[in-house]
Amino acid sequence: MIKKFVALLLLAGLGLMFVGLLLGFTPDQVLNTTASYYADHSVEDTGAANIVTAVIVTYRGLDTLGEVTVLFLTATIVSLILTQPRPSGTPIIGVAEKKALSSGELLQTGTRLLVPLVLLFGVYVFVNGHLTPGGGFQGGAILASALLLLLLSDPTKRFNHRLISRVESISGILYVVIGVLGLVLAGGFLDNRILPLGAFGTLFSAGAIPVIYTLIGLKVGAEFSSMMVTLSESRDR
Amino acid sequence: MVSTLFIIAGGLGAAFLLGLLREEWRGFAYGVTLAALAFMSWVAGSWLWAFVFDGAVGVDVFTAGHNPPFAINLRMGLPEAVLVLLVNAMGLMVGVYLKGTLMRLGRRAMAVLLVAVLALCGIILTRDIFNLFVFIELTAISTAGLVLLSADARALGAGFKYLVISQIISILLLVGIIFAYHATGTLNIDGMAEASVALMKGGTLAFFLILMALIVELKPFPANGWALDIYESAHPAFSALFSAAFSAAMLFAVDKVLLIGGEPWPKIATGVGIVTFVGSNLLALSQTNDRRLLGYSSVAQVGLVLTVIGQRAVLGEHYLFVVGGILLAHSVAKAGLFWVSGLVVERQLSAWAVLRQNPFLVFAFATFMALLIGLPPFPGFYAKWELVHALVSEGRLALVVFILFGALLEVGYLFRWFGYIIKREASVESAMSKPVAFLPRKLVVIGVGVVSAWGLGYIWGALSDFANVLQALPVLFALSFLALEGLPAKLKNTLAIVGLVAFFAISYENYNQLQLIFGAIILIGGAVILLASYETHGKRIGFYPSAMLMYAGLAMLIVAEDSFSFFVAWEILTVGSYFLILRGKFSEPHALSYIIFSLGGAFAILAGFALAAGGAPRIPLEALAQVPATLAPWVFILLAIGFMTKTAAIGLHIWLPGAHAEAETDVSPMVSGILLKAGLFGLMVLLLNMGKTQFYGVELTYVLLWIGALSALLGNLMAIFQEDAKRLLAYSSIGQMGYAVFGLAMMNHLGWLMALMFVINHYVYKSMLFLSVGGIAKRTGTRDMYRMGGLIALMPLSFIAVLIGIIAVSGVPPLSGFGGRWIFYNAIMTADARLPMILIFLSGPVAFLYLFRLIHTIFLGQLKDEHRRLKEAPFWIVVPQMIYVVFLLGFAVFPGLALRRVDAFLNPYFPNGGLNWEGLTISSDFGYWSPVSIMITIGVIFATLLAWLVYLNHNAQKVKQFNIVFAAERPYRPETTHFAWNFFAPYRKALGFMVQPFVTQFWDGLTGSLHHTAQFTRKLYTGNGQTYAFHLLAFVVVVYLILVGGLV
Amino acid sequence: MVYVALITGFLLILMGLYGALTNRNILRMTVAFSIASTGTHLVLVAVGYIPGRTAPILDGAVTAADASLRIIDPVPQALVLTAIVIGLGVTALMLTYAYKLYETKRTLDISKYTDLKW
Repeated sequence: MIKKFVALLLLAGLGLMFVGLLLGFTPDQVLNTTASYYADHSVEDTGAANIVTAVIVTYRGLDTLGEVTVLFLTATIVSLILTQPRPSGTPIIGVAEKKALSSGELLQTGTRLLVPLVLLFGVYVFVNGHLTPGGGFQGGAILASALLLLLLSDPTKRFNHRLISRVESISGILYVVIGVLGLVLAGGFLDNRILPLGAFGTLFSAGAIPVIYTLIGLKVGAEFSSMMVTLSESRDR
Repeated sequence: MVSTLFIIAGGLGAAFLLGLLREEWRGFAYGVTLAALAFMSWVAGSWLWAFVFDGAVGVDVFTAGHNPPFAINLRMGLPEAVLVLLVNAMGLMVGVYLKGTLMRLGRRAMAVLLVAVLALCGIILTRDIFNLFVFIELTAISTAGLVLLSADARALGAGFKYLVISQIISILLLVGIIFAYHATGTLNIDGMAEASVALMKGGTLAFFLILMALIVELKPFPANGWALDIYESAHPAFSALFSAAFSAAMLFAVDKVLLIGGEPWPKIATGVGIVTFVGSNLLALSQTNDRRLLGYSSVAQVGLVLTVIGQRAVLGEHYLFVVGGILLAHSVAKAGLFWVSGLVVERQLSAWAVLRQNPFLVFAFATFMALLIGLPPFPGFYAKWELVHALVSEGRLALVVFILFGALLEVGYLFRWFGYIIKREASVESAMSKPVAFLPRKLVVIGVGVVSAWGLGYIWGALSDFANVLQALPVLFALSFLALEGLPAKLKNTLAIVGLVAFFAISYENYNQLQLIFGAIILIGGAVILLASYETHGKRIGFYPSAMLMYAGLAMLIVAEDSFSFFVAWEILTVGSYFLILRGKFSEPHALSYIIFSLGGAFAILAGFALAAGGAPRIPLEALAQVPATLAPWVFILLAIGFMTKTAAIGLHIWLPGAHAEAETDVSPMVSGILLKAGLFGLMVLLLNMGKTQFYGVELTYVLLWIGALSALLGNLMAIFQEDAKRLLAYSSIGQMGYAVFGLAMMNHLGWLMALMFVINHYVYKSMLFLSVGGIAKRTGTRDMYRMGGLIALMPLSFIAVLIGIIAVSGVPPLSGFGGRWIFYNAIMTADARLPMILIFLSGPVAFLYLFRLIHTIFLGQLKDEHRRLKEAPFWIVVPQMIYVVFLLGFAVFPGLALRRVDAFLNPYFPNGGLNWEGLTISSDFGYWSPVSIMITIGVIFATLLAWLVYLNHNAQKVKQFNIVFAAERPYRPETTHFAWNFFAPYRKALGFMVQPFVTQFWDGLTGSLHHTAQFTRKLYTGNGQTYAFHLLAFVVVVYLILVGGLV
Repeated sequence: MVYVALITGFLLILMGLYGALTNRNILRMTVAFSIASTGTHLVLVAVGYIPGRTAPILDGAVTAADASLRIIDPVPQALVLTAIVIGLGVTALMLTYAYKLYETKRTLDISKYTDLKW
């Protein structure tokens, strides 16, 4: 009870700060310097129609590299933790012996039908990241959802860890290599102008952005998959 | 120059590459990891090289080929290069150290380590606030991964607590960042600084949230339970990284963000920092788990750096020097200590005694400890000096007091720990088992830490505006003994003696009269005492570096011309003598109280000098005379307290008896006969330059007079009730120093002459007595006087030494003590302090009581059965005693040899009331003193009496020793039946109330209450992750309320 | 509209934190933190919103020429993506930790994991 009261008191204090922020806040009427620079220059700078993509992949590419690294790190740590032998003496959790319930005809058939489509959609989303809403992260997540679907339909299914980690690593390395190429060939680390910017609005445009987003898509897909796979396999260890 | 980005790209590329490798190729993966870390360190190092040697200027690295603020930029300047090198090198070392663990856990763990290191580099390099957030999150996540390298199952809980905290941090940070972006239209830190976010509406709060999020990452007290749990449970190698590199990177982030600026923020940083520094150091007092203790200490040090960051404006151009010095010292020291903790199996502090099996590790611990505390010659020392001077000149006295108080707490627990290492038994188990084999790989890593520590010391010395401590000849001489530790003790002893004498030979021409007296006592006198050290066998590891360090400090002290070099010398001699004192068998608690009092005194001296300097980095000692009248009394008080911790004036004396009595046989005379003089020298410098000083109408020299008189009386009184001969001598030193202080405080010619006479006399007879008593104790195996008796026939030489010694001490004719008294009484008659004078007169006979006891109970009376086969004290212990005997006799006849010069030296300062040195007779206004005729007279009387006694001796009747058993009292303990037990019981009944240990009780009470506070307060850290979240939020809210309330 | 989103975001943060502070169950805490992060993300995008404008994607409707007058701020949108991904990473990690913690003590009550204290 006291705990809840104190919690409320503290949150009231935090809320006070938020109120302060709210009271000091006036929505912008025009874009600020940074945003208007992006609005005006992203086409000539990067050739991407999706300005958010231009910001994510190029202008703030280092953030995105960091972001990919966060996922990589999480996936690595998750598998590091879960593949570590449990401390001796602790009992095994769950019901390993009991066979998992069948997931049902509907789900299994649906999965067979949907997985190729989902994969295709995922690829579409990250390949077109510079043109339409979406991009590597979204596409990667969609790819991984196909895997999730497979897992749901058959919880005992095993996946090739090695393949997943290879996809993840190779795309990661290539991402870094492209970044370094930008440093060597163009204006700086992760500069997308190592490839021609191409015709605005077409698939093969915006320099290295589609390539990077493809790599990100593959990498994110692989990372999500790796996390899910390790988590699901840990259950019946 | 290789682009900075390759640090990040290289680390990341290697981390991704590790994913490609087969799980089985662990050796290869490990190689890749180390290669990547080495490459990253090399890039950082090459930048540092370019900045330092090629004069390169800082560069901004643009990413994405666009200019900031539209794209993220990184900056590489000198501070960045230093920190990035620190982080990478630390990562490399941790990689080497962790080989076993990494090989066991495989490539994933290595990848996490790589990412952690590069993320830290990112935090340091980036100039974009959101990018900073990304790297901070990377750091947080990799921390959660690396915590699990530990074999300790509890680390899991600690990691989760950290995740909870980092969630809250990221919420605060994100909300702050987005509103700051809204207010300024940029995410670039420099851009935000230009836009001066604080002026814009809503921006202040946004900035507050950003700053709070970053500060919370720095583990501010009390919202830091999670960090302590990590420190306690994580693998020590990771804790090293967490403490050294993570904190350094986050501190730099705070420093960077504070550029955005505004009035209240530096104050908040300082406030949070100092609370953390003092609070954590206080709580560390009651820790028994080594790693948790190191955690508290880490947190405290980071708090100190944060304090300094907040004082940037005050420090001006010295900012980087100070903040870098403290930060790097902390990083290297803490990493080193954590690495060492990986070699110790058990977790309680006393288990570290196992390190004693390897002298290198003891040296490493001492290095890291000194580095952490900021003793010379390490960077923290220079930084501390600059910091205190800058703060004092700005009038931030309260802050200085807190900083020094916190530092003293740190001194307390670190030196206590060192005492455990040197003195405690490791544990029952490890005592039984065979010597622990330390992994060479880990030793190498620790060795790198030690080398960097000394390297940093050298660099900071070279960078400072002062003389480099590591280039001072005496210090180098002392340190060179570290390299000679493998040689036999006798050889080292010869080197040491030659060194002392040679140094005197090359420097005596430059000494003035005062310095000559002290120089002769320190260097020649030191060499004479060292003759006794020939008695020891084996290598005597640790003795010579410590002893020579003390002598180096003393030699530097007397020639110091400015406040800085004086202070350097003071700390060096303090540290050297501490190590020396600690060598005694049971001296652990006494050495600890010695170092605490001494460093406390040193801090008082530091504050006093800073106050006197008034903004200057240092002042010549003569400039003490020009201190403005408003400050002068404060300077006087601080310096006097500092110096009197060394002379063991009453109230500050409790360390002395144990420290002197428990020290080794040849160490006691060094610390008593020589070391105490450092305090007197300090007082002389102080009084010569500042003279009489009024404090609210109270004449401070008059206060000193009283302190001297009380020390003389009480010291002597306490001496007469001791059973232990060395303790008796130790207490007597308190009394003797009281005389000297009294003499100085009289502020007249004769008073000073007498004090200087005491300086010489006290050295001679106290060294002699300690040596003879030490020699006797060596033979009899006890220092209790009632266990001795009748040794006169077996140890005639020792007897002669003690006899001559006590004649000299007690001030009866014909020896030099009488000359001292004679000058003294003359001096008193010229002064007009009646009451303290009575005390001083009173203490004369008291001194005679304990001296009489010394000779009576040890040498006279009946010989104990178990002592019948005893031989004279060892040859080398007797040799210096005989030298002293000859000297005392000579000095008694020709006191003018030394005193004349002193007299002349004093003339400019005290022109009136000098002595007249004509012929063999010395005369004053009140009478004359003719040493030669006194000597002849006494000699004749003595010879006559002796002859008469010999003649009468055949009539003597033997008395049985234990016949008082048949008296009315029933003995509870056998020794109480001995006549020498409680020798002065009647006096105890009369005067006992004056020797109640009030002072000891006072200091015990003080330390006790500190410990109780620590015990009580640390219950705050319940261990519950949710409670820690409460702490965090409460911390943020409280700081916010303070801010809103306008308290800062 | 902006204010609604902002206030909702702040309330979500406070609610999430309340949940995290008062629920002892580690899984519930994790969920509560997810709620709080969602609130943060909402605040993030709300701050970049400009009434009456459209998404920062150039197509037939918005051309490069008049983009700066027609689109909302792209930066918060980019930031929120990063924030979401990072939040997800931390959540995944917390869940993994929860699993491992449960393995050691067979309980999800955070107040039981206080071996380290003082």
